[in-house]
Amino acid sequence: MTTATLKAPARPRAKRGALRGGRGLVGVVLVGVVVLAGLLAPLLAPFSSQEQIPGANLLGASGTHLFGTDEVNRDVFSRVLYGIRIDLFICLVAVPAGALLGGLVGLVASQTGPSDVVAQRAFDVVLAFPPIILGIGIAAVTGVGVLPVVCVVIGAEVPLFGRLVRAATLKVRELPYVDAAESMGASRTWVLRKHVLPNILDSLIVQLALSASGAVFISSAMNFIGIGVRPPEPSLGGVLADAMAQLGANTMYAVGPLAVIVVLVLGFQLIAQALVAARRGEAS
Amino acid sequence: MSALLRIENLRVEFPGATAVEDVALDLHENEVLAVVGESGSGKSVTALAVLGLLPSSARAAGSIKLDGRELLGLPEDELRAVRGARIALVFQEPSTALNPVERVGWQIGEVLRAHGVKDKRERRGRVGELLEQVGIPPERARDYPHQFSGGQKQRVVLALALAADPDVLIADEPTTALDVTVQAEILALLRELQRTRRLAVLLITHNMGVVADLADRVAVMRDGRVLETQDVRKLFAAPSTPYTRELLASVPRLGRRERTERQISDGIPAFAVDGLVVDHPGRPAALDKITLQVAPGEVLGLVGESGSGKTTLGRVAVGRLRPSAGSVRLFGTDLTGLGRAELRVLRRRIGVVHQDPAASLDPRRTVLDSITEPLDVHQVGSRAERVARAEELLEQVRLTKEHGSRLPRELSGGQRQRVALARALALEPDFLVADEPTSALDVSVQATVLELFSELQDLHGFACLFISHDLAVVDQIADRVAVLRDGHLIEQGPAAQILTSPSTPYTRALLDSAPIPDPDAQRTRHHLKATA
Repeated sequence: MTTATLKAPARPRAKRGALRGGRGLVGVVLVGVVVLAGLLAPLLAPFSSQEQIPGANLLGASGTHLFGTDEVNRDVFSRVLYGIRIDLFICLVAVPAGALLGGLVGLVASQTGPSDVVAQRAFDVVLAFPPIILGIGIAAVTGVGVLPVVCVVIGAEVPLFGRLVRAATLKVRELPYVDAAESMGASRTWVLRKHVLPNILDSLIVQLALSASGAVFISSAMNFIGIGVRPPEPSLGGVLADAMAQLGANTMYAVGPLAVIVVLVLGFQLIAQALVAARRGEAS
Repeated sequence: MSALLRIENLRVEFPGATAVEDVALDLHENEVLAVVGESGSGKSVTALAVLGLLPSSARAAGSIKLDGRELLGLPEDELRAVRGARIALVFQEPSTALNPVERVGWQIGEVLRAHGVKDKRERRGRVGELLEQVGIPPERARDYPHQFSGGQKQRVVLALALAADPDVLIADEPTTALDVTVQAEILALLRELQRTRRLAVLLITHNMGVVADLADRVAVMRDGRVLETQDVRKLFAAPSTPYTRELLASVPRLGRRERTERQISDGIPAFAVDGLVVDHPGRPAALDKITLQVAPGEVLGLVGESGSGKTTLGRVAVGRLRPSAGSVRLFGTDLTGLGRAELRVLRRRIGVVHQDPAASLDPRRTVLDSITEPLDVHQVGSRAERVARAEELLEQVRLTKEHGSRLPRELSGGQRQRVALARALALEPDFLVADEPTSALDVSVQATVLELFSELQDLHGFACLFISHDLAVVDQIADRVAVLRDGHLIEQGPAAQILTSPSTPYTRALLDSAPIPDPDAQRTRHHLKATA
């Protein structure tokens, strides 16, 4: 009791502090480097992503071609830099869209019994499809392109966020301070806006970081099996897929894009872990 | 006579804080030493230090000797031999002290086995004996903890503690989680066991009534230090430190308030129920045919033990729970069939104070935001006016403007409850529902909050449904009292009458069970009971 009151005045901003050191900082740096590389691709890339360099067929890594060149004489490093852009675009559009949609469904589900049953079963159905199979199915309808990838990522995120928001809302709603608000005549929307949302924000942010890493993985996988971005437009998964046939000739052709994917996934995971740890520390 | 357990110069440090400092206590054979103090006084930490059960972050220094043998710094395996066999511990919460998935007989048997009773049949016999000693039929050894009531569980916990025949029993708030009538039974059992086994008992408690009932000597702790150690009679008759005096004065006692009969107006009752029934399928009714009303400006004390339905009635009163049958009227308006919008209008005139102020305030909102919330919800005035009103309320509950910018966790328990009170009063309600508003608070804090409550009630003149399990608290506040038991209204009437000459045996039992903070009176009581 004494220790609690003593600690109280110093209110550490755990959320932000979590990313200022340790694994959180490492995660931020990893993700930051890749994001910057993608954003600055036109400045950093020594060649354009489509440029066919005469005489440079399947060269190994060198000073001019960091990741070597591919079977049609393009610079792999430049293609990877441009490829980052499309992957990040998919992450930045699909993950928030999925979070928003899932969050809304979760909120609605938490309000009444019947809506809860419908939403939960819908989540079950979506989760029953492995993302890649779902992607192939969607691509069969829409055709190959960015759209099925975005749809799959959204499809994968909706149930995750839906369940998270539903569970957190139900938990917060049982707390005495929500009871107090409702007893003073507050409407449901008021309670959701003023009490539930601010109190579930933490878990949402953690889930966003986790989902971003998952989205990088899913989009790379879909591009890899060829139902994502249409060639010759570069994407991380696409470049990696092309490289598989040429492993003997140029190893960096495959290792380059793979390393970027790993760094991105790892970075997001580290950020998520640091946030979770900070939240636990705050709670205890 | 040399002490069985001698604590000298004990100091326990946690990272960044000293929990206990310079503590010296002597516990003799066949003696009950009560350690009293409010939360944070270090009484539990002292008890844990004796058993070497402090969290790993804590550092203890000084000396704790059992029969002249130093316990502090003893290796873990040697300490284990002391625990249970020489010193046993009884915790506050009986439901968490027992393993829910094992039969109680097995759990007691395990203690016996750990302390060298290897023969299975002998163990079974001993388990039966132990259960019998604590007043549980031996055949119930085959039952699981959930099949016992709270009081029975605490009996089992006592059997568990006594299994290895210890010399010292440390009881940390052994009756705090129990209803008063059950508490009286457990206290009687503790007294009997202590006498027959000549146990040395270190009784940790915040309840002065329990101290008066059980203790031979008392040590008063505050902020990690022992202020005084006294014979129990001397302490109650002539406390030597101002703090002890204050502590004793803040303990609510029945019949201490000089009652001024207040004129209660006859207008439309603020709250009235008629033939109210609340039930859940497959269970006995939570509330059965309750008829009562709260007149404008009147404080009705609603008393009952856990499970009596008093909180359910409180929820009905704020329209959070719909009755299964009967009518509920707020300010003359029947709640049956009322839409949300209409209910909202009524709720503007109701204030609510919950039991636990730590939980009833949103941890992310500042004190000021919490107090203005009802005004925001009902869109009263401009933002500046709301803030001004909140600051005025802060002043009324004796907090400063500066407290407004703090978060709930930066306040003490009593301050938090005052914030909750200010929030409840923000809309100048005509009717206030307070559910155990002081139960989570220390006695001295409880006294100031109750005083404040009375003052505010005089000032604002609201009607109030004051729910409490503590008759002495209700006595300080209520004009009338209603007693609930198992969902039935046992009796109701003017506070003075119900609390001095109740007409039902149950209310009588409630009054008699609550230990009086006066050792002599408590002894006379036991004497009367024994001769009766």
